[in-house]
Amino acid sequence: MTLSLSLPLVGIALVILSSAIEGFAQVCLKRSAMLAAGKLRWLALGIVLFIFEALFYSGALQSLDISTAYPLGALSFVSVILFSRWLLNESIDRNRWIGLGLIVCGAALVVG
Amino acid sequence: MEDYRISKRTLAIGLALATLLDTAGQLLWKFCVASLPESSGLWQTAEAVLRQPLFIVLAGIFLIQLFNWLKVLEHADLSYAQPITSLSYITVCVLSAVLFGEHIGLAKMAGVLCVLGGVWLVSQGKPLEQKNPGIGS
Repeated sequence: MTLSLSLPLVGIALVILSSAIEGFAQVCLKRSAMLAAGKLRWLALGIVLFIFEALFYSGALQSLDISTAYPLGALSFVSVILFSRWLLNESIDRNRWIGLGLIVCGAALVVG
Repeated sequence: MEDYRISKRTLAIGLALATLLDTAGQLLWKFCVASLPESSGLWQTAEAVLRQPLFIVLAGIFLIQLFNWLKVLEHADLSYAQPITSLSYITVCVLSAVLFGEHIGLAKMAGVLCVLGGVWLVSQGKPLEQKNPGIGS
């Protein structure tokens, strides 16, 4: 009983974790693209993070139904934009926030 | 910048390419996974992956995708470029219907419209807020 209750929660936690990793990995790729020095280091870190993301997401699919896991995956758009703001200091205007909201809802609907 | 228009066109091509490669990768991935033997162990899966030549193609697509994406990120903010690649949700959805006979219901259609509207809104903004430090120096 406890197992059947907690497994989906673990799955959801794993999807959220892999979304967060996606955000950070994308920041690494952006750093690699825009910096003159240390390009390879950021690229390598980004790729390693993508591998971890894939592993965690596969783990999530073990305990979560695809119809839940796929729409939740749209959360990675949120983490990418939050990390862009926090770590890259990108300014995000109102239109971009609204657009992002539409994209997240739409993507979740499309794969739901 | 004097080459603003040129870089904007380059960016559009890069984003289109990113979306296309993402679409091809996802569809090929779907196809490859479906061709794997069901409920096999890690070793058997790894063996099947190595035997499936399409996985090599897939790896190639991922590499080109990565290279193209790094180029895109030289011309655009992450918060501008990444949301736009959500267009691949639409292409994958439509092509899955065509290639694998998946059904597109009302909810999916609404989703497609939402993604389109969202991408349009994001694309109205400035691609690059601040000039990249270190580029061209």
